[in-house]
Amino acid sequence: MPVSQTDTLGRLGQTGWAALRFKDPTFPVWIGAALLLVFLMLFPLGAIFRASLWGDTGLTFSRYLEVFTNEQSLTAIWNTLIISISVGVLAVIIGALLAWLVTRTDLPWKKSIRALVMASFVTPPFLGAFAWTLLAGPNAGALNKLYRAVTGSEEAIFNIFTMPGLIFVMTLYSFPFVFSMIANVCELISSDLEDAAEILGANKWRTAWTVTLPLALPALIGGFILAFLHSLSLFGAPAILGLPAGLHTITTQIWTLFQYPPRLDMAAAFSVPLLLATMVLIVAQKKILGRKGYSTVGGKGGQKRLIRLGWGRVPVLLFVLGILSLSVFLPYWILLKAALSKAWALPLTWDNFTLHNLSFTFFEYGDTQLAIYNTFKLGLITATVGTLLATLIAYITNRNLFRGARYLSFFALAPLVIPGIVLAVGLFIAYTRPPLVLYGTIWILFVAFLTKEMPIGFSQAESTFKSIHPELEDASRIIGANRLTTLKDITAPLARSGLIAAWSFIFIGVIRELSAAILLFAPQSKVVSVVIFDLKEEGQIGVIAVLGILLLLVSFAVIITVQRLAGRDVVATRE
Amino acid sequence: MAIVSIRGLTKKFTDAAAVDDLHLEIADGEFVSLLGPSGCGKTTTLRLIAGFLQPDAGEICVGGGVISSPSHLVPPERRNMSMIFQSYAVWPHMTVAQNVAYGLKFKKLTKQQIDAKVTKLLGVVHLSELKDRYSSELSGGQQQRVALARALVVEPQILLMDEPLSNLDANLREEMRFEIRRLHEEFAITTVYVTHDQAEAMATSDRIAVLDRGQIVQVGRPAEIFDHPKTRFVAEFVGKANILCGRLDGASRMRIAERLEIGVMPNPDLASTTGEAAICLRPHNIVLTAVQSEAETLARQDYNVFSGVVQRRIYFGESADYTIDLAPHPFTLRVVGSPSKLYDKGQRIFALARPEHCVVVSNH
Repeated sequence: MPVSQTDTLGRLGQTGWAALRFKDPTFPVWIGAALLLVFLMLFPLGAIFRASLWGDTGLTFSRYLEVFTNEQSLTAIWNTLIISISVGVLAVIIGALLAWLVTRTDLPWKKSIRALVMASFVTPPFLGAFAWTLLAGPNAGALNKLYRAVTGSEEAIFNIFTMPGLIFVMTLYSFPFVFSMIANVCELISSDLEDAAEILGANKWRTAWTVTLPLALPALIGGFILAFLHSLSLFGAPAILGLPAGLHTITTQIWTLFQYPPRLDMAAAFSVPLLLATMVLIVAQKKILGRKGYSTVGGKGGQKRLIRLGWGRVPVLLFVLGILSLSVFLPYWILLKAALSKAWALPLTWDNFTLHNLSFTFFEYGDTQLAIYNTFKLGLITATVGTLLATLIAYITNRNLFRGARYLSFFALAPLVIPGIVLAVGLFIAYTRPPLVLYGTIWILFVAFLTKEMPIGFSQAESTFKSIHPELEDASRIIGANRLTTLKDITAPLARSGLIAAWSFIFIGVIRELSAAILLFAPQSKVVSVVIFDLKEEGQIGVIAVLGILLLLVSFAVIITVQRLAGRDVVATRE
Repeated sequence: MAIVSIRGLTKKFTDAAAVDDLHLEIADGEFVSLLGPSGCGKTTTLRLIAGFLQPDAGEICVGGGVISSPSHLVPPERRNMSMIFQSYAVWPHMTVAQNVAYGLKFKKLTKQQIDAKVTKLLGVVHLSELKDRYSSELSGGQQQRVALARALVVEPQILLMDEPLSNLDANLREEMRFEIRRLHEEFAITTVYVTHDQAEAMATSDRIAVLDRGQIVQVGRPAEIFDHPKTRFVAEFVGKANILCGRLDGASRMRIAERLEIGVMPNPDLASTTGEAAICLRPHNIVLTAVQSEAETLARQDYNVFSGVVQRRIYFGESADYTIDLAPHPFTLRVVGSPSKLYDKGQRIFALARPEHCVVVSNH
C-alpha cells in the first residue's frame, strides 16, 4: 500500500466509526453527496454577494448605499418589520393558546382540532390570501355582502387590502408553526410541577400563569422568531393583498426589481440584509431553545393530568373553532364555491352551479395542463432526489463517516436562513450564465426546490437514523456483509417509513412553493403556484379555485398516506 | 488456529487515550473476559478487535497474520468473527430464522444447507418454536438467544461479546451466564467477553483481564484474580475487600498501625519488601468470636487478631454482614459471618484472619 494512502487512512481511522477506505466501494458516493451539498448551498449565496458587491469598476458598496437611502426601499423594510413583528406576536398568542388548550385541558374534539391546525399548516399562504380577497374584499367580499344584507348599510366593514388585513391573513397561516412547537413543550411539562404550585395554594389559572408559562417561555420566544421569519420570507400573501394597496414588503420589492427593466444587482443588495437578519434570528432561536436549566421540559414528562375547563368548555371550543374557521372553513368554503359556481359572488344555487370551471381549467385554459404537469414532475423528482441526498448526508453526519462530517449538517440546514425569494435571486444570477445555464428550463426550479427543501428532508432523515442503533449495522458487518450490503439489507428497510415521511414533506413543500418559483419560471416552466398568481391579474377566479383545491387535495392525500404508512403524527414531527 | 495476539494496542479519542499500550495473548479456544469499570477502554478494545476501529499504535494478530495496525485494517466482514452486542441488535424487520440465516448468505452454501444449519442452531439455543416471530414479539432473553444463534451459525473463528447480559433482569442474567458457558464448552470458539460485572466474568471465563484506564492491570484465572489480587484496584473491583494500608516490614510482616502488626501473604510482584503497601482481606475470610479463650487459641495458630466492637449488623438470611470498629485504631472491618451465631450491636468481639488471607497488594 502506498505511503500517502496509508496516511489518509490513518486520519480517517480517527473518526470513531468504521474506518472508511478508498477500496470501500461506497466511498465515492459519500464524498460525492457531500460535495454536491456544499456546492448547492455555496454557489447561489456566492452569486448574491458577488452581484451585490461587484460592479463594472470592481468592488463597490453603491448598491447597498442606494438600497438604504432609497425611500421606497426604506418603506418596504419598515412595512416588513411592522408586519412581521405583529404576525409574530399574534401567532404566538393564538398558537400558544391553542396548543395549551389541546394538550393540557379537557377541551373536547382535540383530534379534530389538531387535524384542522394541520390543514391550516398545509394551506399555501398565497391560496389563503386569495380566498380572503373573495371573503373580505371591499366590494364583492362575501363577508361584506353579508354585513350589508344584515345591517342594510352601504359601507364595507372589512377591507383585506390593508396592512391589518395582510397581518391578519399572515397570522392565520403562521400560527400553526408556533402551535406545533408549543404543543411539544406542553406535552413534556410534568403535572408534578403544576401540582407543586397548587399544593402551595395557587389556583389553576395562577399556576398556568406562574409555572406553566415561564417553563414554556423559551419555546414561546422560539415560536415568535419562527413566525416572524416565516412572515418575513412570504411573498404570495403580501403580493396578493399588499400590492393592490401599494403596500410593499422586502420580498415584493425584490420581485419588483426583477420586473422590466431588471436590476439584479439591486435585488442582490436588497437580499443581503434579509439574509443576515434571518441568520441572526435563527442563531438567537437556537440559543434560546438550546439553553439548559429547563431540564424538566426535556425530561420524561412525568404524569399529566388535564385541567378542567368546567362551564367554559363550550365557549372555549367555540372560540377555537372560530379561529379555525378563519383559517380553514371560510377559505375552503369560498374556494369550493368559486370552483363550482358560474358567478362566485352569487349564492350557490342550482342555477349557479357549474362544472365548467373544472373542464375549463383542465382541458381548455392554455397554461394549466403544462403547469400541473410541471408541478407534479418537479414534486416527484425533487422529492426523490432530495430524499436520496438528504438520506446520504444524514447518514454521513449521523454515523460520522469521515472527519468533519458533522459540519455537513450546517450546510444541509443553511437554507433555513435563506428566504425563498433570496435563494431565487442567487440561483437566477448563478445559473443564467455559463458554465451552468439552467434558466428557462424547469431544472433551475428543481435546483431551487432541492435547495429550499433540504433542511426538512435532512432533519427528517437525521432523526430517522438517530433512531436506528448503529449496532444493528455492526451486527451485519461482523458476520460478513460489507457496508453497501448492510445499507441495503439492514439500514434501508429500517429507515423506510421515516424516509417516506421525508419524501412527502419535500413533495408537499415543492408543489406549494411560490416565492422562489415566481422569479425563476419561464413560459415553458410555469408551475401551478405561478399560474395561480398570474391568473389573479386576469381575474380567473374559478380556475384559481380549482387549482387551489387540487393542490390541497393532493397534499392531504399525501399526508394521509404517510400517516397510514408511518403511523405517526405528521404535525408533531415536522419542525 | 485462532490465537489472538494484541501488542501495544493504543487508541486515542480526541487526545485522551481510551486504550493505552495494551498487551494480551489469547489461546485457541480460550474464553477471556475484559473486566473493568465503565470508561476503562474494554469496549474500545473489543471494537478494535472487531475492526470497527483502527488502532493509533500497536497491532492485533490472529494466527500470526496482522489484521489491525495503524497502516492496515482488514474490514470487519472479512475477519471471520462474530459479535454479540449490548443492545442484542436483533434486526426488527426480519424473523428469528431470517436473522439467524443472514450471515450464511455470504458463505457459498445451498438453501438446504442454510436451512439445516439454522434449524440446528435454533435448537441449540432453544428457539425452534419461535423461528417465525419478529423481535418485537420476543422477550429480552429470547432476543439474546437469537443474537447468540446468529453469531454462532456462521462458525466464527473468534466470538466477541460486548456486555451481552447487562440489559437482562437479574434472574435471567444468572441463567444466561451458564448458557454462555455451556455454548462455549460445546463449540470451543475463542471468545473475548467484555463486562463490568465480576460475577459474570467469574462464571464464564477461563481467564479474566482486569482493565483500568486503558491498560490491563492483571490477567489470570478467576480464582487467581479473586484470591491474589496484585493491586488495590483489582482487589476492590473484584469482590468485596477490606483494604488496610501500612508499611511492609519484610515480605510477610506488615505494620498497619501503632501496636498493630500482622502476618501477611507476600506479593512477588512488588519491587520491595519494605515501604508503603496495603493488604486485601476478604470479608468472608474473617472469623468472629466473642470468647477470649477461643481467640487466644487461634492466635497461637498464627491467626492475626483484631479486637473491636460491633458497629452495625445487617442480617441477610443466608449470611450476616458486620462492620467492626477497631478503635482506637482508625479502621473498620467488614465481615461476612454465619447467620447461625449472631453478634449484637455494641458487643465486644475478636476478628481473626489467617496471614495467607491478608494478601499484600500495591497501594494503587
